[in-house]
Amino acid sequence: MTFYVILLSYPTEITVSKSKVPIFAIALLAIIFAVGLFVVGYDQGHIFSVVLGEQAYEDLYIHELTHDMRHAAGFPCH
Amino acid sequence: MKTVIFLAIVLVSGAIAGTIHGMTNLVMVEPYLDEAIGIENQNLFASGEEEDTPQFWVEYNSYRDWQKGGQVLAGAILGTSVGALFGIVYALSRHALPGKNDLRKTLVLAGIMWLTIYLIPFLKYPANPPTVGDGETVVLRAVLYLSFIAISGFGAVGLYQLYKRLKQNTKVLAFVGYAVFIGIVFALMPPNPDEVTAPMDLVDGFRAMSAVAVSVFWVSVAVVLGSLWHKFRPDSEITLAKNQ
Ligand SMILES: [Zn+2]
Repeated sequence: MTFYVILLSYPTEITVSKSKVPIFAIALLAIIFAVGLFVVGYDQGHIFSVVLGEQAYEDLYIHELTHDMRHAAGFPCH
Repeated sequence: MKTVIFLAIVLVSGAIAGTIHGMTNLVMVEPYLDEAIGIENQNLFASGEEEDTPQFWVEYNSYRDWQKGGQVLAGAILGTSVGALFGIVYALSRHALPGKNDLRKTLVLAGIMWLTIYLIPFLKYPANPPTVGDGETVVLRAVLYLSFIAISGFGAVGLYQLYKRLKQNTKVLAFVGYAVFIGIVFALMPPNPDEVTAPMDLVDGFRAMSAVAVSVFWVSVAVVLGSLWHKFRPDSEITLAKNQ
């Protein structure tokens, strides 16, 4: 009984640490991880081909842009 | 959990660390890339595929500038991407990580991830400068490298589950288990099929600098995320208990 009195009459702030991470935040970060990794590590014109069509595979904008990082970060390149 | 703050600090820390990685590469790795591409050009001239004309050098310099400048942007993209993974793992494992504050916890986690998804895969499939790879095998090499990273990463997660269930004085078995597991995978996975034809000095120098730069990334992402987490505390919520 005393316990409840103390609990209910305790007026100050309580900081609650909630470690529960919303699943959609995890999902969003997972998508960002996958897309970013693909762009830097593996794209050979796929992304821009959505807009530019076949020409993208010739121009390889993203490949050239990410080329040096691809080598330096250890991804297989050419 | 303050979700917006959580997402913001995770993405910002990845982007900052990735930009630092890109700039570190410009200073440390670029000289080796230039040398390697110089050898490639000489090979092209020797085989007659390209001619050593002013026209060639104009085109070459314009796309090399694009590649070099792109490196910092590519670093920011890659950093945001790997930082997102780091943020997921940190949010899920924070309560279990050793260390008195967030900065120590992020550094411990970055150390574990650096070892399992970077260093061990790197020892099996080390980075190569241009001129080394064979264009025909790039897909095979990509699959091998990514598979090894995934096996090592999931292996570490699996052994962590075991670690949690083991009693205090037997927890070391989880580390032994990981070492045995990854040792077997390391031995069984096929080697990189390409022969290294470039001078070994160049290749070794490139690999060493590349590894230093990636390590700089992992330290940076831990320091930035740890500091931001400490400042903004996305995991805490202040609640007022009413006096009833
Ligand atoms: Zn390349």
